[in-house]
Parts: sequence; C-alpha cells; structure tokens
Amino acid sequence: MTAIMDIRKLSKNFGGLQALKNITFQINRHEIIGLIGPNGAGKTTLFNCVAGVEKPSSGEIIFKNGERSESIGGKKPEKVTSLGIARTFQNIRLFDNMTVLDNVKIGRHCRTKSTFFGAVVRNRTQKEEEEEITAHACECLEFVGLRGLNDEIASSLAYGNQRRLEIARALATEPRLLMLDEPAAGMNPQESRNLMDLIHRIRDKGITILLIEHDMKVVMGVCERVVVINHGEWLTEGAPADVRNDAGVIEAYLGTGAANAA
Amino acid sequence: MVNIKKMTLGAKFRIGLLALALILPALPFATDYFLHTVILIYLYMVLALGLNVVPGFNGLLDLGYVGFYGIGAYTAGLLTVHFGFSFWTIVPLAFLNGALWGVLLGAPTLRLTGDYFAIVTFGFSELVVLFLTNEIWLTRGPLGLPGIEPVSLDLSLFGGPRWEFVGEVPYYYLAIALVLAAVFVMYRIQDSRLGRAWFAIRDDEVAAVSCGINLLTYKVFAFAISAAFGAVGGCFFARWVTFLSPDMFKFWESFLVLCMIVLGGMGNIWGVMVGAVVLVSLSEILRELLPLLGLPVEVRFLGFGLIMVLMMRYRPAGLLPIPAVAAQMRSGRVRRKKVKATVGLNK
Repeated sequence: MTAIMDIRKLSKNFGGLQALKNITFQINRHEIIGLIGPNGAGKTTLFNCVAGVEKPSSGEIIFKNGERSESIGGKKPEKVTSLGIARTFQNIRLFDNMTVLDNVKIGRHCRTKSTFFGAVVRNRTQKEEEEEITAHACECLEFVGLRGLNDEIASSLAYGNQRRLEIARALATEPRLLMLDEPAAGMNPQESRNLMDLIHRIRDKGITILLIEHDMKVVMGVCERVVVINHGEWLTEGAPADVRNDAGVIEAYLGTGAANAA
Repeated sequence: MVNIKKMTLGAKFRIGLLALALILPALPFATDYFLHTVILIYLYMVLALGLNVVPGFNGLLDLGYVGFYGIGAYTAGLLTVHFGFSFWTIVPLAFLNGALWGVLLGAPTLRLTGDYFAIVTFGFSELVVLFLTNEIWLTRGPLGLPGIEPVSLDLSLFGGPRWEFVGEVPYYYLAIALVLAAVFVMYRIQDSRLGRAWFAIRDDEVAAVSCGINLLTYKVFAFAISAAFGAVGGCFFARWVTFLSPDMFKFWESFLVLCMIVLGGMGNIWGVMVGAVVLVSLSEILRELLPLLGLPVEVRFLGFGLIMVLMMRYRPAGLLPIPAVAAQMRSGRVRRKKVKATVGLNK
C-alpha cells in the first residue's frame, strides 16, 4: 500500500491552546480511514489544516498525487482543492439559493478556465467547456442519487439530500482525497445505511476517503482503519474492532475507570 | 425568422418596451427636456448595472462608485480637449482606465470584509473629487472643463458622411445602445462560470473557497468590471453635457446609484433598471412639484430618504427581489456570522 497523504508532527496552536500536538499518521491510497475522538479532540482543526483553512503552527502535510508529492501545509484552500483534495462541512454549507445543478457546477470551477471574455463572447471553447461542466455535474448528481432534482433550490431539499448534494459538489472537483466531516450527523438509520453504501461506491471510483464521524455504526461499517485523537494528541490507530476494545480509547470517551468496568 | 407567437410573455413584453423606447423621440410629447430626462435614466441604468456587479452579484458594499464615474468622465474630457480623440476610441480607453483603477483600488482593499471595505471605497471617491478639484494643471480644478466636443460619427473612411450629434435625439439612441450593450454583457455573465463564481461568493465564501474559487481574484475582477462600466457611463456623460466639474462627482451620486439598485432589487438586472427609472423620474417630478407646494427643490432629498426607509421596512430586497438577496435580508444575523467565519480566509 502506498500512502496518499503523510501527516508528520502536525501541531496547531490557537494562542495558548494547543489544538493539535505532534499528530503523525498516514493515509493509504484507496482506503476509507476514520478519524474519531471525543468532542473537542481537534478533528475538525485537523481537517481545516489539511484543507488550507487553518495554517499549521508546525509540522508537515505531504500530499502524494501520482508521482508528485507536495507539501500542502499552509497552502490556500482553493489551491488545495485544485490539487485534488475536496471536503464537506460539519454544518452543511451549500449555496442555499441556487439550484441543485448550479451548486454542483460551481464545484467544477477549479477544473475549468473561462472568464470574462469567454462569458461575453461565448466562443467555441467556452461553449464546449460549459457543456462539459453541465454533463459532469449531472453525472455527479446521478452518482449520489439526486437524479431529477436538478432545478430544485438547494435549501428546499430534505436534510439527507442536502448532505448528498454537498458530496456531489465535492466530487465535481475531481478529488483524489475526499474528506467528509460528520456526514451521518442527524441522519436516521436508513439514511446512514444509504450513506455507507455511497461512501463505498465513491471509494470504488478510486477516491481515498478520510471521514470524521461520531456515529460508531457508520465508522465500524465503512472504515478499514481508524485513527483516534484525544486532546489534540494521537492516541492510537488500527482496525475498527481493535480500536473499539482499546482501553485508552474507552477511557478517552467514557473517563478513567470505565475501562476497568468494561 | 423569429416567430412572435412562440415567444413567452416576458420576451414579448421586453420587445414591446424596446420598440416603445425606439419610437419615443417621434412621439408628440417628446420635448427636448423630456428626452434629456430619459437619456439621464438610460445613463443611470448603465451606472446601476455596473455597480450591481459588486453589491448585487458579490454581496460587497461599494460606496465609491462615483469615483470611477468621475475617472471615466475626465478621461474622456481630457482626451477630447487635448488630443481630439473620437468618442469611439475613448469608450474602450475609458473602459480600460476604469478597470485599471478598479484593480489598483480593489487588489489591496478587497482583503477587507464588510463595512471596512465600504469605508475604503467611500474614501476613494472623496479622493477622486479632491484630486479633480486640486490638480488644476490637469483638470482646471473648480473652474471645470468646458468645451468638450460633442460626439460625432465619422464615416468618411468608408466614403460615408461625417455626422455631428446635435440635439438630444442622437444621444438618445446612443444611450439606448449603451444600455443594450450593458444588459447583454450582464446577462451573459450571469449565466457563465464567472457569474456562478460570483454568486457562490455572495452566498457562502467558505464553501466557495472549498470549490476552488480564489476569493480575492474574483472580487478584484468584479470590482474592475464594475469600475469599467462606471467609467463608460462617465465617458458618455462627458461627451453629452460637454462640460465637467469636480462637484458633479460628489458622494451623493454614489449614494443615488446605490439607492437605485437597492430600490429595484439588488442582483436583479431588470430590478436595477427599474430602480433607475423610478429614482430619476421621481427626482424630475419632485423638481417640478415642490415649488408649486412652496417648498425648496432640495426637499426632494428628504423624499428619497423617506422612500428608502419605507423600502427597508416593507420590501427590504427591492421591488423585484431575487431569492438570494431576499433570504439574506430575512436573516441578517446569519449573514453576519458567515462574514465572521471568513476572516481567517482572507489573510
């Protein structure tokens, strides 16, 4: 297995607070890896550092795309996206007042080029590009199971579908690595089963997935490997079943003494 | 051939409006004063369409639009007076000059968010007025710049006649052409990759960035295009009234154009044009009406203020609102939160 991402000694301080301390782990190509930990452990901060929203205080994030490997720590988020890392948000962030199709079309932004001249003159290149954008966007929507909802306004979709739309938008950027921040939050069991199926299908397309999730059923159901962090520190990693029985993990979630009781 | 029966009601309505606009000068009540007012409406339509790009498409408050209008007007005026450039060469030059100043102002300041950005643009427009007033060697300062040649169309290169624009009618059609060009460009942008990127920025900056949109580049781009349209408007203005003075470009003008787009419906191409029609004609009507009531003409500014207050109370998203702006007006607090969340991104 070759690694697609190598996180080395990553630290992030917010003033006096150390949100991440020397986190080191690897993400392998084509795997579904879960990032878990109690609330406030630093999961979303880690996401933000990788996505370029936060600048790491120290440490390195190496992204290996094919032959090239590049340090992305501190790179701007739009640059990170164009390198092939897409994300969704913990609290859904769609373009609420645009149609479903337009939301996904915007996801194609980083893979297309035309600007003012193309928009006004509508030359052949621009027209072809526009057709390609629409076709690819429709494909993404169909893939996540939102066929036939193209012209709906994004905010009018049901909650589960909004989550799917956000994933479709992320897929439209043609990522190599997809980061999902609590995709199953607020879903009923049926919806999360469908979500797990979707995550598997995304992986089958050759996309690596990094997942933050609190719903243990989902984590156990889809993740091949789990990294646990607590108080901003790497705690353990391994197969989901092993991690579940790890004394340190139980202690982190339930407090000292719980491990003995269990 | 276009089949009239197959057209939608909206398209018929638009064609009807255009036809009416085209035959307007031939109608019996079309005095010079009347045409002058309508030309003013068209000029403000172009300005409003240009300004609309920044607050309407991108959700950024711009209080300094008149600065670019002034830059365009003086670009046209000075080039005409000193070098005798023709109007048709000046329009693209003014467009580029406006865009240049848009970039020069936008690139450093668009990193600011919300109100801070608005204050900078306000300062810029004041700066332009001060420059025009004090750099007497260039602009003749408060004396103004008289004797700008009117527009002429010289077809002698192709063996045609040379045609001087005299009276209001030729300017009337020139103004229509400018409005049509502006509407055309805005419509095409609205439905393009560029337009979508702007709307994404307006809706949610964090999500826009995660789709690979470079906020600063696109905001500067919006600012430059908006400024370029302002400059083209100024260029028409200079060659139309043939006299410029710095006090024509006071802050009040920025505010008036901003009122038009707020009144008509921010972000809506038709809305901002309706805003221009309403405010310019209202201004003219009040100018006639107020003396009859024994009130000074300046009272009309109070009228504008009253209209804006009533609009904010009853139709905050404008006469022809678009859903995005309406939603933001409904939940002002949510929007503030989103702005805060982006502070980290703009560093």
